[in-house]
This record gives sequence, structure tokens and C-alpha cells, in this order.
Amino acid sequence: MIADLFGRKFYMASDTIGAWVMLTLTAILGIILITRAKKWPIIREYATTTHHRKIGVLYLLSATLFFMRAGIEALIIRIQLAFPDNNFWVFQGEKFNEAFTTHGTIMIFFVAMPLLIGLMNVAVPLQIGAQDMAFPYLNAVSFWLFLAGALLVNMSFFMTASPNAGWTLYAPLSTDTYTPSAGNDYYIFGIQVSGIGTILAAINMIVTIVRHRAPGMTLMKMPLFPWSTLITSFLILIAFPVLTIALYILMFDRFFGTSFFSGPEGDPIYWQHLFWIFGHPEVYIIILPAFGIFSDIISTFSKKRVFGYGSMVVALAIIGLLGFMVWVHHMFTVGLGALVNTFFAVTTMLIAVPTGIKIFNWLFTMRKGVIRFSTPMLFAAGFIPTFVMGGVTGVMLSAAAADLQYHDTYFVVAHFHYVIIGGTVLGAFAGIYYWFPKMFGITLNETLGKLHFWLFLIGFHITFFPQHFAGLNGMPRRVYTYTAEDNVFVFNFVSTLGAFLMGIGTAVFVWNIYKSFKKPQKAGDDPWNGRTLEWSVPSPAPEHPFENTPQVVSHDPVWEAKLHRDGELPKASESRTAPIDVVSWQPVMLGSLMLFFSLAFIYHVTWLQVTLGIAVLGFFVVRALTDEHTKKAKEDQAHDNV
Amino acid sequence: MTTYNQDLQGDKKLGFVLYLVGELVMFATLFATFFIFVQDAIDPTPTEVFEARTVIISSVFLLSSSGTIHFAEKAAEIQNRKGIAIWLAATVLLGLAFMGVEIHEFRTYYHEGFTLTQNIFLSSFYILVGLHAAHVLFGIGWMLLLAIQLNSIPSSIYGDKQKIFSYYWHFVDVIWIFIIVFVYAPYLI
Ligand code: HEM
Ligand SMILES: [Cu+2]
Repeated sequence: MIADLFGRKFYMASDTIGAWVMLTLTAILGIILITRAKKWPIIREYATTTHHRKIGVLYLLSATLFFMRAGIEALIIRIQLAFPDNNFWVFQGEKFNEAFTTHGTIMIFFVAMPLLIGLMNVAVPLQIGAQDMAFPYLNAVSFWLFLAGALLVNMSFFMTASPNAGWTLYAPLSTDTYTPSAGNDYYIFGIQVSGIGTILAAINMIVTIVRHRAPGMTLMKMPLFPWSTLITSFLILIAFPVLTIALYILMFDRFFGTSFFSGPEGDPIYWQHLFWIFGHPEVYIIILPAFGIFSDIISTFSKKRVFGYGSMVVALAIIGLLGFMVWVHHMFTVGLGALVNTFFAVTTMLIAVPTGIKIFNWLFTMRKGVIRFSTPMLFAAGFIPTFVMGGVTGVMLSAAAADLQYHDTYFVVAHFHYVIIGGTVLGAFAGIYYWFPKMFGITLNETLGKLHFWLFLIGFHITFFPQHFAGLNGMPRRVYTYTAEDNVFVFNFVSTLGAFLMGIGTAVFVWNIYKSFKKPQKAGDDPWNGRTLEWSVPSPAPEHPFENTPQVVSHDPVWEAKLHRDGELPKASESRTAPIDVVSWQPVMLGSLMLFFSLAFIYHVTWLQVTLGIAVLGFFVVRALTDEHTKKAKEDQAHDNV
Repeated sequence: MTTYNQDLQGDKKLGFVLYLVGELVMFATLFATFFIFVQDAIDPTPTEVFEARTVIISSVFLLSSSGTIHFAEKAAEIQNRKGIAIWLAATVLLGLAFMGVEIHEFRTYYHEGFTLTQNIFLSSFYILVGLHAAHVLFGIGWMLLLAIQLNSIPSSIYGDKQKIFSYYWHFVDVIWIFIIVFVYAPYLI
């Protein structure tokens, strides 16, 4: 099918038409259901909110949605690879490139990131005794920018212009000489817009943690999830701007005729450097928060203070620092020389040390603890061995000489799925089960939760364990098929089976959420017998969670209060001013503006670029003239004058 | 009421400084890009392109505007609205003068055939110095907004707003100094 739009021709393959039909039907169904259930006020409430818990929920909701999209893509990829010389539907050749590109991009930027930022939003302010994030309005802006970027990357498929150069967008393939279609422009603008949102979110987190802790909570009394959030935010603040500029430069190559990354003068290797200077810290950005979540969960469900708290903090910091010194391990095969490779091999191996310290501390926290295997703890227990395997293959890969063999094979694919799914995704699931009561006042069903865990974990290992061997047998990553003689059929076939098991596991998770809302099980304020401040406030957390600011005198203040003070937290004599939350349509408007502004660029519509560019600038004017601080100061002044 | 302002203003200051850290990383990346691609530049080389006179004039304008915004801040501290207005206006004018010279500079280069796509040295020059110029332009717009609000909002909150702006403006100036030192000077001296 061919359609004409913006002076360009759009060819539609059957899968795209199918997707449009599905999308339209889902949208109509959604509208009908929402109207029938009279839920529009709730949509409006969430669209205009600046409250940290609700924004956290929005992040988690979008992440779940995108998880399903990218998950379906994964299943399609696995079906195509299930048999040698397979021809599944239209997913060969270029279509396959598009599928793995959007799968990877969406999973990293629009699933892993928002899952973690969502949980941070929900839990961190409560854990440190803050009334809200430091900048509630900015928090909403961050979310809507994130969503605008995510929608851009996601809609590319519907416009038959998916990015197709891999999530690493390597040049020169990603320059307009080799991929002239709009696909990689969607990537550039989508990631750029959401990346700005992420940088703003990180700033917000840092200010919240540095300035909004309850009185008495020194940094070294802070729970480990806020700690990991703090360090992650610094990593974001340093790493994401590098990506911003990398994309900015690539944009010039693709739109304005420069040739930084290609041609006789340009340097494709420079793209790799820029990308991985961002990219390696990025993988720590998505793992450190998970470490924090597991630390808190393991401590709660072992009824013990986390073992080696100080060393946990130091390990987080060292991992964060070293994370900036290892990027060349993604480029061992480029030929930068023995000395460079050796240096980066050694720094990479060093990271295993603080990581190992953390693993042992978790084990020691559990040792002689009173362990309860509720669903969050199950995920934590599943995480430890899984992640260790990913770490071991990581160290194998870091041996530069050996990596010449592993590089760009399924061995690497297995490695990073072990660390990302074994770490980040299990961590996010654990966190969602753990903090669900604080989000909605109900607990998720435990039986379904356990079923979800087992299906997902077993499915995971069946999927990714064989991929190590496929890789060792020489199967390159990012190929759409192989022959029977390649000796990798069995591994691929088993892997595909496992993938479907993971899919079923995820379906159980979604079903669990649906069920739990249908038959709500009211959670008390403290369903898990918790230790940290979030369990001292009502479930779901109200707009102003702490009626009296608590005075923190120890680690695990809620636990200490249970032991020594009949559960009453000491009250602080003074407290700081709470941030001002507002209800505003502005953030969502800005997000939409940025989305259309990006589209105007992607499709080279100059007059729209100018108009929308002015509109975006106009947004700053509106914001400056309507901000809540000025309003409040005016009110105060009027009050004083009476 | 005073503590109210101090707490929230403190948040804003820290937040904005962190934002500038992010911007610093962005500019650092662009500087790195420039260093890498300037080395093998031929046809034209930087020495053939750069002109000391315009750089000196524009620098005088921009660097002195750091002084005028400082005086505007001092005036805000004693809530002297007239003083603020004068110094703010001076800063806007200096910013505009800088922009004028820079646009003139770019146009001259352009007419000499030194365009964005001529070679990568020029590309990396334009994307760096151009981004800086965009910051100056944004700052000018920001100052106009401040000017609008000067008489209509309580002076304490006005002072807070202007303080954040002056962080921004000083930052833009510091980046310019780096541009002089690392981009222009090595090829003009
Ligand atoms: C002990 C810790 C780790 C070590 C030593 C390590 C080592 C490595 C090495 C050497 C590579 C490059 C392999 C190649 O392309 O030839 C790699 C790839 C990768 N690692 Fe790790 N890693 C570790 C932990 C992690 C963690 C925690 C994550 C994410 C949560 C992660 C995510 C990735 C990803 C996404 C890639 C592939 C990127 C791509 O090419 O698309 N790694 N790792
Ligand atoms: Cu890495």
C-alpha cells in the first residue's frame, strides 16, 4: 500500500497495516472503556499532576506499555531465528534490522530508564522524609519530555520509517548516505527529547536528596536506594550531555551536510567513542538503582540491617567512577593498539571488585536473617545468581584478546541480557511489588506474583543461557538467519521456546495488576514490616505524606522506632519549606510541542519548524510569567499588606 | 516568610548550578570535537579564516556584560529598581552588540567561502561557536522577560530570578573565554 504525506511516499507492509488496525481498535476500545467507567477525571488528574507519586506511576505505566511493544518485537525476532533459513512473515533483511534496533532502543531508553526513574519518583522522597520532589513542576516536564521522545521512537514504525542502525547507531551506517530514510531521524529526535527530560529528572533527584532529607538523616544514615539514586543521577548528569552532543553532531551530518562521521575527512570511530563514553555509564545508570532496590528489599525481608552499609556506599561510588573509565571495552576490535586495550581491559576487570563486594554484602545480609520469601524477595533471590553469571561473562569479555573472538557474537547478547534483565528488570519487578502499596494502597496478588517470578526467571535462563553457546559457535549478533550447517540451530530453537515462557510470565504480571485492582486487597501502611521512612506514611502516599517531619536518629528509623519507641517516630522541632506543587497543563503541552517540533524536523517542513520553534520559546515566556513561586510571593505580599 | 524564600531559592540555585554542569559537559564535548578535527584542517586552515579584530571587539562586549550584570545584581540586593533597570539594559545592549559582531563575522566568513560544510574544522567551529551564540541570544530574551517583570513582581522574588539569570550569563561568558583561549588564540597569535 502507498500513501502520500508531506510530499513523501509511504509504503506500507502488511505488518504495519496490521499494527495500525490494532492501534485504532485499541484506541477506540480504550476511549469506550474510559468513558463507560467515567474515568476521564482521573486521566485529567494525572495529565496535570506534579505530584511525585503520580508522576512515578506515569513513568511505570508507560514503561510497561513500551515493555510490551519491545517484548513483542523480541518474540518476532526469536520466531525469525527459531529455524535455519527461516522466512517469518516480512521480518527478514531490512525489516529485521529495524526490529532489533527499535527493540534495543526502546528497552534501554523507554523501559529500563522509566522503570527506574518511576520507582525513584515513588519511593525516594518518601524514604528520605521529603514532602515531594524538590521541583514538582520540573518533574512533570521531565516526564512529558520523556514520553514525547518515547512516542517519537515508537511511532516511527507506524510511519514505516523505523530506525535501523542498531541502538548504538554506528556511523557511517547511521549517516544519510547509507540510511537516507527518516528512521534514524526518529531515533535522533526521540532520544534527544527524552534525554533532556532525563537530565532534568537527574537534577531534580540530586537537589531532592541533597536538600530535602528529614532532619537528622545524614548521608550515611540514608537508605541505599536513595544512595544509588544520587550516584546514578550524577552519572546521568555527566553521561547524557555527551549523548546530547553526539546526537547533535549526527543531526548536522544528516540534516545540514556536514561529514563529521563519514567521508574522507570524517571519522566514524569518533562516533563510537562519543557513544560509548555515554553508553557504558548508561549501563551503570540502569543497574545501580536496581542494586539500591535489592539492598533495601533484602534487608527488609531478612529482618536485618544491610551488611556492610559503608562498603555498599563506597562500592556504589567506585562503580560510578570506574564506569567512566572503561568505554573502550566496547571497541577492543577497532584496533586502538595494545596499550589502550590493556588499560581498558584492566579498568574493566577492576569493576568486578566493588560489584563482588556488593554481592557478598547481600549474601551476608541474608545470612542468619529471618528470611521471608514474599514476591519482592523472590526476585531479589533470583537476581543474585543470575547477575553473577552476567558479571562472569563480563569479566571474560574484558580480556581484550579473548574479546576479539566474542565481540559481536551472541555471547555478548547473552552477557548483556544477563546483567540487564537479571539486574535491572528483576530489580524493577521487585520494586514494583514492594512499593505497589505506596502507589495504590493495595498489594499485588502473591500467588500470581510467584507464578510470574518463576515463569519469567526460568524462561529467562532458557532463552539466554543457550545464546552463550550459539555465540561461541560463531553466530554473529544482528543477523536475520543462519544455515543448518552453522551448528547453532538447537541453541536458537531452545532460546525461542524460552522467550515465549518469558512472554507468558510477563502476561501473568499484567494479569496480576488487572486482578489486583478488580479484587483489591487493602494494604496497611506497613505491609512488609518495613524499616525505612516510607512505611511510616499512609498507603497510598498522600500529597503531603509527612504530617510531622520525623527526626531521624538512626539507620532504618522505622525499625528502630518499632523496637524502642512503640512505633512512634520522634518529631523534628523544625522543618524546611515544602516544594510547591501545582496543577498545570503546561508540562503536557510542552511535551506535545516538542513532539511536533521534532516531526517538523524529521520531515523537513521548514515553516513548521519555525512556527513550532517560536512556540517552544513562547513556552518559556508563559512559564516565567505564571510560575508558582511568583504567585506565592505575590499572595504573601498581598497578605502582608492587609 | 524569609525562610520560605531561602529554602526554595536554595533549591533553585543548586538545581541551576547542576544544570550548568550538564551544559559544561556538552560544551566540553564540542571543544573535544574541535580539537580533534582542527588538527588536519586544510583548505582553509584556521589561520586563513580567523580575524583578530572581530574577536577582540566581540569579546570586549561580551566580557564587559559580565560586569554590568554583576552591578544589576548588586542593585537588586539593595532593591534599587532604577539601578537594576539601567544595568540590565546595559547588559542587553552589550549582548546585542556581541551578537551583531558575531553575525557580521559569520557573514564575512560565509562570503569568503568558509561555510559550514567546507571542511570539518569549519563544521566543528560553527557548531561550537554557533551553540554559544544561541545561548547569548536566549540570554537576551531572558533579560527582556526579567525587564517585563521588574516592576510587576515582589522585589525579593525578582532578585531571586535575576540571580539565577546571572549564573547563566556568567557561565556563557566563561564558555566564551574558553572559546577565545582554545579556538581563536592559538591561530591568531
Ligand atoms: C562485571 C561487570 C561487567 C563487565 C566486566 C562487563 C564487560 C563488558 C564488555 C567487555 C562488553 C563488550 C563486549 C563486546 O562488545 O565485545 C560488554 C557489553 C555490554 N555490557 Fe557489560 N559488563 C559488565 C556489566 C554490565 C552491566 C551491569 C550492564 C548493564 C546493566 C552491562 C551491559 C552491557 C551491554 C548492554 C553490552 C553490549 C552493548 C552493545 O554492544 O550493544 N554490562 N560488557
Ligand atoms: Cu561497557
